[in-house]
This record gives sequence, C-alpha cells and structure tokens, in this order.
Amino acid sequence: MEIQTKKEANATVVTITGRLDAVTAPVYEKAVIELITAGELKLIVDFDALDYISSAGLRGLLVTAKQLKGKGGQVRCANVKGTVKEVFDISGFGSIFQMDDSVAFALARLA
Amino acid sequence: MIQVEHLSKKFGDLVVLKDITIEIKTGEVIAIIGPSGTGKSTFLRCLNLLDQPNGGSIAIDGVNILDAKANVPKIRQKMNMVFQSFNLFSHLSVMENLTLGPIKLRGISPKDAELKAMELLKLVGLAEKADNYPDELSGGQKQRVAIARCLAMDPEIILFDEPTSALDPTMVSEVLSVIRRLAKEGMTMAIVTHEMDFARDVANRVLYMDEGLIYEEGTPQQIFETPQKEKTQAFINRVRSFTYQISSPDYDLYAMNAEIENFCEKQILPKKTRHSLLLLVEELLQIYTPGLHGTRLDLAIAYSEKKETLQLTLESSGEAANPLESNFLPDELGLTIIRNLAEDIEFQRVNDKNRLTVLMRKTL
Repeated sequence: MEIQTKKEANATVVTITGRLDAVTAPVYEKAVIELITAGELKLIVDFDALDYISSAGLRGLLVTAKQLKGKGGQVRCANVKGTVKEVFDISGFGSIFQMDDSVAFALARLA
Repeated sequence: MIQVEHLSKKFGDLVVLKDITIEIKTGEVIAIIGPSGTGKSTFLRCLNLLDQPNGGSIAIDGVNILDAKANVPKIRQKMNMVFQSFNLFSHLSVMENLTLGPIKLRGISPKDAELKAMELLKLVGLAEKADNYPDELSGGQKQRVAIARCLAMDPEIILFDEPTSALDPTMVSEVLSVIRRLAKEGMTMAIVTHEMDFARDVANRVLYMDEGLIYEEGTPQQIFETPQKEKTQAFINRVRSFTYQISSPDYDLYAMNAEIENFCEKQILPKKTRHSLLLLVEELLQIYTPGLHGTRLDLAIAYSEKKETLQLTLESSGEAANPLESNFLPDELGLTIIRNLAEDIEFQRVNDKNRLTVLMRKTL
C-alpha cells in the first residue's frame, strides 16, 4: 500500500493505492492520525487506486473517522468502487461514511 | 466366476496391491477407476497372471489359478486381455492376427477360424480391413481389431486395460461403442478406464481403487452420485487442494496470499473469485489470529472442478470452541463479511480438534 497526501484549499486528500488489509491498516491509521494531530480536520480519502479492503482496513477507517469526529472534523470517501464498494456495502459502511463519486465532488461538499 | 481373496503384489519394496478381495460374477461389467499409480492395471495383470501376485488367491470357477500346477495358457484363454497399446502383431494381416490364436492354441481349422474371424470383424465394423496390416489402420481401428482378436479366443471374461487412453479423442467413441455392444450381449468384463461417463453408463459395478486397495465400490449411481469416502469424493468431484500451516500470529499474509493466488491460477479461477477467496481467508484468519500462540492452524482450500465450488477447512487444536461464536471478537465486521461470502458454515469437533468448514458462495 502507498499513501499520498495532497493539501487542497479546503481539505487534505489522502490517496491510498493497493491493499488496505491486516498488514497495511496500522500504517494507514498511523499516517492519518499524524495528519489529524497536525491539525488537518477535513479529510477526503480517495479510493480510486485501492484494489482490496478487508475488515481490518474498515476498522482503520473507522478509528480515524472517530478521532476526526472527536475533534469536530469531517471525512468523506471518494471513488469507492468495484470490490472495495462491495465490502463497504456488505458491512454497512456505505451508509456510515459520506461517499462521493469523485474527489472534486467531495471537495465541493466540504467547501 | 472369479473369486479374488487378499491379493497382494509388490515390485521390490514398492507395494502396489495391498489386499484386494472381490468376486466377479458371470455377466457383470466392472469399471475400475482411480488415480494413476494406484494399482488398477497391476490388478488386471495379476488376474491374467501377466504379473505374478505375491500373496492371496485367485479362483476361477473354484480352481485356484495361483496353484503351481495351474495351466496358465488355458487360464489366459478364459480370461483374455485388451491392452492400452493394442499389441497387435504388426507383421501379420488383420485376418492372421485374429486366426493365429484359435488355430495354434485351440486347434481350430484355418477355415473355421477365418469364418469366425470375419464374423467378429463385422461385429467391430472392420470386415473390409481383413487383408490390411496393422500399420495401415488408425488407432481406433487397431483397438477394434484387438477386441475382435480377443473375442476370437471365446473368452469367458475380457479384461480391458485403459482401452482408449492411447487414442486420439475422435477415435474413442468407436471403441467404446464396441465395448458397449459387448456389455449388452452379456459379456463379462473388467474395464480399467479414465472415461468416467463411459464407466457410469456401461458398468453394473464400479470399483474405486486407491492406496493399493478397493477403496470403495458400489453401483455407478452410488460411486458417481453419492460417494461415501473422502478420497472417492475428491476423485469424482475432481477436487484440487491447497494446504497451509500457520503457527504464529505473525504469519506472513502476503506469502500465503501469493500461494493461494498461484493455486487459483492453476485452477483458472476468475479474478473476482480469487478476490473473494483471499478476503474470506483473511477474515477467517483475523478471527483465529489472537489465539494462535502455541497452537497450530491448518488451512485447507479444496476446489471441486466438477461442482465449481471452493471449500475452506480450518483445523486447530485447543479447547472445544467455535471461533466464530467467540465473545472475544472485537466487533461483528469480520463475521459479517464471512457470512456474506459463505454459502454454508459448519463447526465440528473432530479428533480433539476444532474444525470449521466454510463453503464459499459462488461469485457471479
């Protein structure tokens, strides 16, 4: 898995590439918590290049979302599709998270 | 007709037949199936004394043919054999191949032998090839000549040793239809074959051989529809397996995934199925991981090519407990994914081990 962050005008876009699983979820959590600690409270997670997610990855998303909420922040998920979307739907995450079809849409919603 | 008891055969230290006991009755058509190297051909060759058994007895109509005084050529006349590679005499014409045995061994006049041979060549559809030589025939034609040659000796039973496995697929049916015809006419036959549909149609009884034994036997319906024993089921359902052992919570998920991917590739499973399988395995292992200190987990993935199903079996030692019902799960997330990907989940306590069997839902 690779994580890239890009600061936009009104939010930080976190792009994850590859797999978010039992091995990589802790890496994701650590990176996002560092962002939150540094004061980034509006996050967009871009799933466009994510091929695989398991419950461990979902937990990582949940942990970081809770942290953000505790600090009055927000997170939106963009480009959740294919098998990753199926896992979101199975586990009910599709209704827990705010989902957008693109990063541009997500940015517009956070504006 | 034939009574085989505790037959055994070894080649050097290699035990090929451990203990075979079976009775073949007049008019029975017996199909012998099983993986390669399990002694099927050796069993036929022992019946015909082409290989000398090391132990046990074979009685034909009450006469023990393993007796030192047994008249082996006479026995072979009663019990003729059709080989995978035809074994015709290449320097003799088709007619000569059919008449040699009856004239030399049975003392039949050349004229009568030729009349009978022509009748048999008509039966196998090759009357017009009587003057040809084996090299002028196709594989299917050669095998039909071999069957006619076998019939020329008026055998009481014919042993077929993989009669179609050396044939081009286009020629298999012409040979099988001749054997089917013999079955209809009441000929007693024992047929070693890999043609499962043929075995199912033609046989009255099917023997599944494995481990040098008749591992399971029954009617074609019993063996092909509801095999009872594990290896028979795996063979009939064309099951391919993958196993992996995990003995630490720090197991290498990616190394295991690579092996599973490799297994899936060999079975030509679609990408979506592979994805679901990897997810199901990871979710199951996530549930097992906290308890993996000092215990071993055996994971087996079985793919049935016939049923197109994937079944996962996880076996672990320790106290009797269904890991999916554990109160120690952090949340329902993993379980929800597992239940969604599984068609059926079963927990059993077997030999002091916890066994979880998960049949994966077919992906669309």
